[in-house]
Amino acid sequence: MTLATPLLDPAPGKDGRPVLSVRDLHITFPSEAGPVQAVRGVGFDLLPGRTLCVVGESGSGKSATALGVMGLLPPSAEVRGQVLLDGQDLVGLDDRALSKIRGKSIGMVFQDPLSALTPIYSVGRLLADALRVHQDLTRRAAWEQAVQLLDLVGIPDPRGRATAFPHEFSGGMRQRVVIALAIANRPAVLVADEPTTALDVTVQAQILDVLRLAQQETGAGLVLITHDLGVVAGHADDVAVMYAGRFVEHAGVTELFRRPTMPYTARLLAAVPTVDGGVRRPLVPIGGEPPALVDLPAGCPFAPRCAVALDACRTAEPESHEVTGHGHVACLRAAEIADGSLDPKGDTPPAGPPAPADRTATATATGEVVLRVEDLVKTFPVTKGAVLKRRIGTLRAVGGVGFALRAGETLALVGESGSGKTTTLMEILRLARPEGGRVEICGTDVAALDSPAAVRRLRRDVQIVMQDPLGALDPRMPVSHSLAEPLRAIGRDRASIRARVRELLALVGLDDTIGDRFPAALSGGQRQRVGIARALATEPRLLALDEPLSALDVSVQAGVINLLTRLKRELGLAYLVVAHDLAVVRYVSDRIAVMYLGHIVETGDTEAIFADPRHPYTRALLSAIPIPDPGRERTRERVVLTGEPPNAARPPRGCVFVDRCPLYREAGEELRRRCRTEPPAQTPVAGDSGHRYACHGV
Amino acid sequence: MVRHVIRKAAGWLLMIVVATNATYFLASWFLDPRSNYRDLRPVRSEDQIDRALAPYHLDPREPLVHRWWDWLTSVTLHFDWGRSPTGVSVNGEIGYRALVSAELVTLATVLSVVIGVALGVYTAARQYGWADRFSQAVSILVFNVPASVAALLVVFVAIWLNQHAGLRFLYVAGENSPGVEGLLPTIADRLLHLILPTASLTLMGYVGYHLTQRSLLLDTLGADFVRTARATGLTRAQAIRRHALRTALIPTAASVAFSVPAVFTGAVITESVFAWNGMGRYFVQTISKNDVHGTVATAAFAATLTAVGAILADIATVFLDPRVRVS
Amino acid sequence: MSTDARAGAPSGAPVRPDAEPPRAARPAREHAHLGLGRLYARRFARNRLAVAGAVILALLVLFAALGGHLTRYAYTDADFTALTAPPSGVHWFGTNQGGNDVYACAVHGLQRSLTIAVSVSVLTVVLAAVIGSGAAYFGGRVERATLAVIHFLLVVPSFLILALVSHRLAGDWRVLIIVLTVFGWMSTARVIWAVSTSLRERDYVKAAEFMGVGPLRVILRHLIPNLGSLLIVNLTLGVVATVLSETALSFLGFGVQTPDVSLGTMLADGATTLTSAPWLFAFPAGLLVLLTVSMTLIGDGLRDALDPTSATGSAGGRR
Repeated sequence: MTLATPLLDPAPGKDGRPVLSVRDLHITFPSEAGPVQAVRGVGFDLLPGRTLCVVGESGSGKSATALGVMGLLPPSAEVRGQVLLDGQDLVGLDDRALSKIRGKSIGMVFQDPLSALTPIYSVGRLLADALRVHQDLTRRAAWEQAVQLLDLVGIPDPRGRATAFPHEFSGGMRQRVVIALAIANRPAVLVADEPTTALDVTVQAQILDVLRLAQQETGAGLVLITHDLGVVAGHADDVAVMYAGRFVEHAGVTELFRRPTMPYTARLLAAVPTVDGGVRRPLVPIGGEPPALVDLPAGCPFAPRCAVALDACRTAEPESHEVTGHGHVACLRAAEIADGSLDPKGDTPPAGPPAPADRTATATATGEVVLRVEDLVKTFPVTKGAVLKRRIGTLRAVGGVGFALRAGETLALVGESGSGKTTTLMEILRLARPEGGRVEICGTDVAALDSPAAVRRLRRDVQIVMQDPLGALDPRMPVSHSLAEPLRAIGRDRASIRARVRELLALVGLDDTIGDRFPAALSGGQRQRVGIARALATEPRLLALDEPLSALDVSVQAGVINLLTRLKRELGLAYLVVAHDLAVVRYVSDRIAVMYLGHIVETGDTEAIFADPRHPYTRALLSAIPIPDPGRERTRERVVLTGEPPNAARPPRGCVFVDRCPLYREAGEELRRRCRTEPPAQTPVAGDSGHRYACHGV
Repeated sequence: MVRHVIRKAAGWLLMIVVATNATYFLASWFLDPRSNYRDLRPVRSEDQIDRALAPYHLDPREPLVHRWWDWLTSVTLHFDWGRSPTGVSVNGEIGYRALVSAELVTLATVLSVVIGVALGVYTAARQYGWADRFSQAVSILVFNVPASVAALLVVFVAIWLNQHAGLRFLYVAGENSPGVEGLLPTIADRLLHLILPTASLTLMGYVGYHLTQRSLLLDTLGADFVRTARATGLTRAQAIRRHALRTALIPTAASVAFSVPAVFTGAVITESVFAWNGMGRYFVQTISKNDVHGTVATAAFAATLTAVGAILADIATVFLDPRVRVS
Repeated sequence: MSTDARAGAPSGAPVRPDAEPPRAARPAREHAHLGLGRLYARRFARNRLAVAGAVILALLVLFAALGGHLTRYAYTDADFTALTAPPSGVHWFGTNQGGNDVYACAVHGLQRSLTIAVSVSVLTVVLAAVIGSGAAYFGGRVERATLAVIHFLLVVPSFLILALVSHRLAGDWRVLIIVLTVFGWMSTARVIWAVSTSLRERDYVKAAEFMGVGPLRVILRHLIPNLGSLLIVNLTLGVVATVLSETALSFLGFGVQTPDVSLGTMLADGATTLTSAPWLFAFPAGLLVLLTVSMTLIGDGLRDALDPTSATGSAGGRR
């Protein structure tokens, strides 16, 4: 245990006095294994109008910090330290006293907008109530202000929508309402806990803009909690990096990104996939796992994963101390790192060979076609109401999708939620005659499979890795049983199954002993490796990966990306990846197909798409992804899409993107007519026949 | 909405018709009205018995299908549900007894809901407090006491009280005393007769509401929206009252709506113990007296009220919960 | 559907943790090596009430199995020298109007009630599990047809049918078992169906299908084991429910018939002599309440021990 963390006095802001000061905050939760020290001595000052980003991976204690500041922790949590708001210490205040402050002086934006609003009240009522808690307003006046607030956060037709209930809003719109709730009484401090994590990337950009607007409007100081270094680069004034319940580095945003001084920060930045820049740099995973917060061993919690750790790092936890010209860093070697004499990443080479070289080799390779999809169609009936179901239309989830995939190649289907990418994947994996179009796997038309035995034979060639590695493994089966299951399904005998299971564990870089464990006892990265091993059990030729990385923390993600790359090369697999995150896709795929509302709007080689995106949606998608580099993130020109994907039950007659298309808005009458009435055909880009897009306007 | 209810009701009607007819056959098969006559003195011949049953379409010499057809036509054309083996009109019995049951059960239902929900809310907000633990223990105990035991215990206590208080104000049998005249004395007499069965029914009834309401509210207390409400400046108690409770009451309201029509079907055990001539006791009597028509009519009556309850519950949910409202 | 919306859920609200602490040290990691069985046993043992319930139940079972050897009377023997005699050294629980020894009757009645309750509960849960999970897994027409049947049987006043059928046939307790099962599986099947439909959508079930695992194997290896805790809890609470309905039926004269004896028939006998011979009522009533309360406590304890999200179980915070 360290002594009190030294006070941090950041560069004095324009108006000097901080609106919020946190001093040596400790938060402990009781648990079966002993007290969990979720937050261990966090301190910071927040100046009005400034943004402090707290960044960290899951379990680092950042959400507990936010709830601790708000006084919204469960009663079982033990809180020590000071939370000074306008000179008043909030720690130890009772609920009644805190309720006078919450909502009035501090507002909070929560992570999941879908569950954050009371379902039985209209949003206008929710806002009006929030106003009337702290202000003496008549119902009518409160309602008027509520409408103004909805207008401020960018809800179209605010007066009409005020009477609507939360479930009638999309996720992005609900998050706007949550922001409106948080700023209703013009608080001096806003706390936003992962406000965009549950949202699509184009919507994320809008919400972050709303948040910034809200901050400007109220002049509040903002504590923005996130795991996304790109968001940090775009929005922070100051950054605090959290690891194992402490701020391990706390600095100005430019300083932090220019020279990350805590080895953890440096490694984190090296592990983040990015979309910018001409060259794709290799990702360097951080080995190991974040520590459990019960009975932390002595020493720096990052030391076991650190490439430059000294013996001293393992005996005592380093204090956070000031590094001149930078900020505060809790590392014994901060000075060496800061003056450039030590590379915090160590000289560990990236695990796995540098990706780009590998890729140029495969991109030119022309293996045999293992998957051919032509004009695939899938529709769902649309029903309304939870109890009183009735069919109101047909949702065209996939509307004529086609592509081919060769051995040794990775194709990524990219798009936001509702784009039909996962549906496409599932339709292929169903191995049954599709509703429309044709699916051919390893030369076999799935519609021609006439017996269950034939389907089972083909199953061996196609396997899937699922998004949520915990959900994809039966919680009541030890790992070895899960791995044996596909082998048993194809009728392998006991001895060969046992041998194969051991082989599979080794293949994905896991220890033999993992086989006896239950999924709950594994870390996220280990689980996903087990998921991959299981998919490889029957030696398939085609591997479908449904968002294989989105449930993983950044520091673990890079390791899995490298594993996938190695396996593909060694086993000559073909990957069909579904993902929403273009940055990650860039590191795993050879070709990309961008989907929107059930259609492929652009397809081409990965680097061609990144270097020369043609379709306005691809451009918007690329520019919505925040880049973890403050210089570039803040200066680049951005295409921000308005609105959200329309209802697929009533898609536009012509181009599916027409409602949100920035080109359409500036187009002439003739082009507009075509966009509205005529579905655009796939046009090849001159000089690159593999790169095609579907747009009238480009 | 109206169209939806009509469609739902049609489905229920079909089910009730099927269920009632199935009960008719089951009852004709399992109940033997002739056995009622066998113990009579002087001994009747089988022929005499059959002849006595013939006017009520209970004569076993008549093929079952014919009896069924007679019964069905009389129900559909005249809404006449037939007669008991002794010639008592089923319609009349049910009409009278349903009201007796309602008199008994309505008050108990109201008390059960009020006490149960209030207790559920009070204890959920104080989870693991002594009040919560205590009432939880009592409720679990009561929940596990068979209705007959509970009713008899109430009787036992009442008799003891009567003996020790030296007056007879707690009536352990019947819905009224014979020979009471005048409006006010009649009402007072009936109310006094209500005390014990109501106490017994409430004891059995509140438990369900207590335990479900408690768990519903506990589920809602952890919801994100309650935290949001607190973040806007409500105290925990206010947030629970205005946000969690309102949401958690919706399923309870549906279940109350469901149980409202059931007051007419009465309470079998309680009516038997306290000798109330309501529907519950009728149900027991018709079966033990081999009254085919009475049994079938009771089944149809109960099924109908179940359906009405289900529809009311649907309407209540739709009315209270904007998420399931069809616009 | 609202048919089961009536208040009266089985006792004991599922306990929710107030909030999950972030990354609670993954205690499951050590537990995994213990084996799930021992982990569950440990969590069950931590619940004092549940342990008390288990002890009471064990004593009751011992009493039912061996209690008969302690007395020289059989439940059918009539002691005409002692009619309606209060408890004494000879007749520990007294005698009834016919001179039967109440202690012997109670042992036999408890045996009878336990046998009926346990058999019905096991049969009901097995039937409900197969029907419920099968309907959920196969979906489509199978599912709709099964639900229609369940729905229909729930509208039918089942208690009435029960009384009707058992009135005529249930001199024999084995018939009573069948009748109670046939009219008792629906609501459990509905619950299992509802849970299975959500299990069916779980990724690991989909993954198994994509790997070519057959439907029967998916049901047996994935659905049923993951329904496990629900089934076990339903099994214990089903015993309570069966005891209650058997008691009610026998009390009304529709269940077990003389000369056989169950706790329900003993209650009915005792009801008439509530004040003159309270022991006729008190002993069976006490045994009944002990039986149902102990089963409920065990059921609640199992629910908490087997449910990975329960507060007392606290299986490691994860996000």
